[in-house]
Amino acid sequence: MTDDVALAAAGDVSAFERVYQTHLPRVHSLVRRMTGGRDTDEVTQDVFVRVWQKLSTFRGDSAFSTWLHRLAVNVVIERFRSETLRRQRLRGGDDLFDTISAPVRSRDFAMDFETALDRLPDGAREVFVLHDVEGYKHHEIASRLDISAGTSKAQLHRARMMLRKHLGRKESDYDD
Amino acid sequence: MTTDRFTSQLSEYLDAGLPVDERQSLEAHLASCDRCRETLDELRAVVTRAKNLQDSAPVNDLWRGIHARIASGSITGRVSPFRRAITRRLSFTIPQVAAAGLALMILSGGLVWMARSGDPRADVPAIRAQEEPAVVPANFADKHYDAAIAELEQTLDAGRKSLDPETIRVLEENLAAIDRAIDQCRLALATDPANVYLNTHLADARQRKLLLLRRAAALATKGT
Repeated sequence: MTDDVALAAAGDVSAFERVYQTHLPRVHSLVRRMTGGRDTDEVTQDVFVRVWQKLSTFRGDSAFSTWLHRLAVNVVIERFRSETLRRQRLRGGDDLFDTISAPVRSRDFAMDFETALDRLPDGAREVFVLHDVEGYKHHEIASRLDISAGTSKAQLHRARMMLRKHLGRKESDYDD
Repeated sequence: MTTDRFTSQLSEYLDAGLPVDERQSLEAHLASCDRCRETLDELRAVVTRAKNLQDSAPVNDLWRGIHARIASGSITGRVSPFRRAITRRLSFTIPQVAAAGLALMILSGGLVWMARSGDPRADVPAIRAQEEPAVVPANFADKHYDAAIAELEQTLDAGRKSLDPETIRVLEENLAAIDRAIDQCRLALATDPANVYLNTHLADARQRKLLLLRRAAALATKGT
């Protein structure tokens, strides 16, 4: 546990602000990717408020960043998910992705990729971010999203295929 | 086995999740199928890119809102130590002081009016502040809330031309999303009125709408 995390856990707001500044880019990016850019700032604020509330329960058994990212994932899931809506999203969404315009050739492949990621159907995007960006296993994703591991695998493949289809060319093609 | 069937296995193959017999079968297919090999390469590129995404900080200052929320006293368990800390860290910019002054004027005027009229309601929200008085808890009594929303919407309408179209588009999308959340909560609460989560979520959604409108109205007012 870093000094600032320990101080923040004891109620030191200055230390908490430093913890916030340190982890803000990571958390904000995680939230943005999981939500597809919807209400990213507000959800990020929710995450850090929750961190403040829960910090005293962090015992240092895992890395703080791991604890923080898992908490952030929980906040996103709670914020945007109800059982019904999640199931609806996991079933549909291909049409939404298909309606977006084709990507413009750009040197900034990362930006293109992030934009394409934002436009994935919610269910596919969540699983993709958790698995391929955050490194979660399918059984963990299944547990957190309350879906089966098979659904998680199917959504991951769906997301990858959509991204591949949308990007339309290999990464190396973007290297000028 | 069809090519489509093999294609559907490519992600699991990349993740080393296929049983041995299926993996061997797929690899035999890949040796003779250019299309599947190309797809596999593209999927691998997607996975590689995902692992190398760069994080970026938000454009907006989020700390102020976090600071306000954890200082508001509405969060249980951590209020006392924070209040000790905030007394030594609190500082204001000139616009913040001006906004706080305006809020104080409105609040004071309201209190005087209520004292004179004998109205016991001492919790009328300040609805015309340029910036929200962050440490003043919002009041969600419908009558006052609705009045505040209506007034902010009028202010926003009046200054709408000063906002650029993209801002208006984003604003309208966000407001629509919040309204949908509010409607869903209300519907759910109709059958489960004592549900703590739903009530909390509704209050949160309403507060978000109020804050968003306040910010937008302030922005529109500045531009006129």
